[in-house]
Amino acid sequence: MIERESAADIEAQAVRWVVRADQGELTLAERTELDAWLTGDPRRQGAHARAEAAWLMLDRAKALGGAPAERSLSERGRMGRRRLLAGLGVAAAACAAIVIAPRLLSARYGTALGEIRRVPLSDGSMAAINTDTVLDVTMRPRLRQVKLDKGEAWFQVAKDPQRPFVVESGPVRVRAVGTAFSVRRREGGCDVLVTEGVVEAWSQDVGGAPRRVGAGERIFVSDEVGPANPAVAPIDITRNLAWREGQIVLDGEAFATAAAEFNRYNARKIVIADDSMADEKLVGWFRTNEPESFARAAASSFGGKVTVRGDVILVEAGE
Amino acid sequence: MQDGRGRIVAWLGREILPHEADVRAWLRRSLAAAGDADDVIQEAYCRLANLASIDHIENPRAYFFQAARSVALEQIRRARVVRIETVTQIDALNVELDEPSPERIAGGRRELARVQRLIAALPERCRRIFEMRKIEGLPQREIARRMGVTEHVVENESVRGLRAILAALAEGETNQDAVPRRSSSHDRTRKRR
Repeated sequence: MIERESAADIEAQAVRWVVRADQGELTLAERTELDAWLTGDPRRQGAHARAEAAWLMLDRAKALGGAPAERSLSERGRMGRRRLLAGLGVAAAACAAIVIAPRLLSARYGTALGEIRRVPLSDGSMAAINTDTVLDVTMRPRLRQVKLDKGEAWFQVAKDPQRPFVVESGPVRVRAVGTAFSVRRREGGCDVLVTEGVVEAWSQDVGGAPRRVGAGERIFVSDEVGPANPAVAPIDITRNLAWREGQIVLDGEAFATAAAEFNRYNARKIVIADDSMADEKLVGWFRTNEPESFARAAASSFGGKVTVRGDVILVEAGE
Repeated sequence: MQDGRGRIVAWLGREILPHEADVRAWLRRSLAAAGDADDVIQEAYCRLANLASIDHIENPRAYFFQAARSVALEQIRRARVVRIETVTQIDALNVELDEPSPERIAGGRRELARVQRLIAALPERCRRIFEMRKIEGLPQREIARRMGVTEHVVENESVRGLRAILAALAEGETNQDAVPRRSSSHDRTRKRR
């Protein structure tokens, strides 16, 4: 899906074939090559027909019998605008760079309900902090210590082998050197999702060696039992980290689970009145701060109805 | 078969291409990702090019819109994860298609003027090649000889030129002589971004 050929690449190829065919009859080998190419993707057939159509349409110009056409002025205006837009893109990319001076610091970062923050840490790491979270960051000479008492955060850790980066949440510890991962405090333990590199996770209350968790893996570290077996779930991880863009991505989650997820972000809570709907499976891509449109979309998909009263978004079964 | 193909390609150029910019604009308003519109257009052309017959199509513009709409809907259904915007997208795709106004139907003269403008807008060397090929009707080899370049250069310039023309058609560069776009319904749907 990621490797999908772009429409522009297809068009370039299609145009090439049309121009080549215009040089004279295609050889048998060329013809076979073209046919093979066309069969590969319906978009190729479409692009080829479109290019042929445009090429043929230009034959109307024969009626002009050599009268040179004057240059269109509006074309210049258009080009100017396009250049300007390209320029803006470069400027935006340049703005994304952040300069940080390394310093020994201690800082607390908190987010309110529904708030999502990205903060650069003093060591060059980056933290994305999800709703309703408290994070205490202390940079020590031999340790980068991050306390996560509640909530969830994702870290892009700057490489520094001399100073491991350790997230502490209750007795749970997650250690990294240079990598990217998230930790979410839950009842009785933490969810750890690794997006790059490797981390080590354990619970201080339990003996035993730390568990290594690699990129694309997730693990639940119980306060009292320690780490479970890591599960490989790269797509799942991307989905679960959609909150960094203010989104919730559902892929077959139960309505009740999804509603609880929305309720993490909003003062207006979704309440499911009938248990019969709680297990309905949902697929979709939503904004964390739009619980009502989520509730309406969900309800309409299984025939429920939505009433909003004060801070309650009530979903009931339809008649 | 070859005959039918030639007929359909000519029909595409005459009846479909002139409406492409409008179909694209409509897709861009309806679909969340702009890149999707390119895919939809190519697939729509594929469907049109593979039509067994075009004789029954009375309104090619509406037919083109319908084909694009059905490709877009299929893509939305195929996508494993559906964005919330999708609900709005499907609604937007249901917007009633406007009838072509008589001014929009390209008459022969208008079509000629459009082709003329398309060629005129090409960069210098491309333009000379297209004038020799399409106005004077010289073959590519002869053009190469006259310009004192290799055939390969002519091929590359032709590719470049045809792509520029396709881009101009996609943008509706040549619609300046058409009726002004209906603004009321467009503004309503342009809330995103």
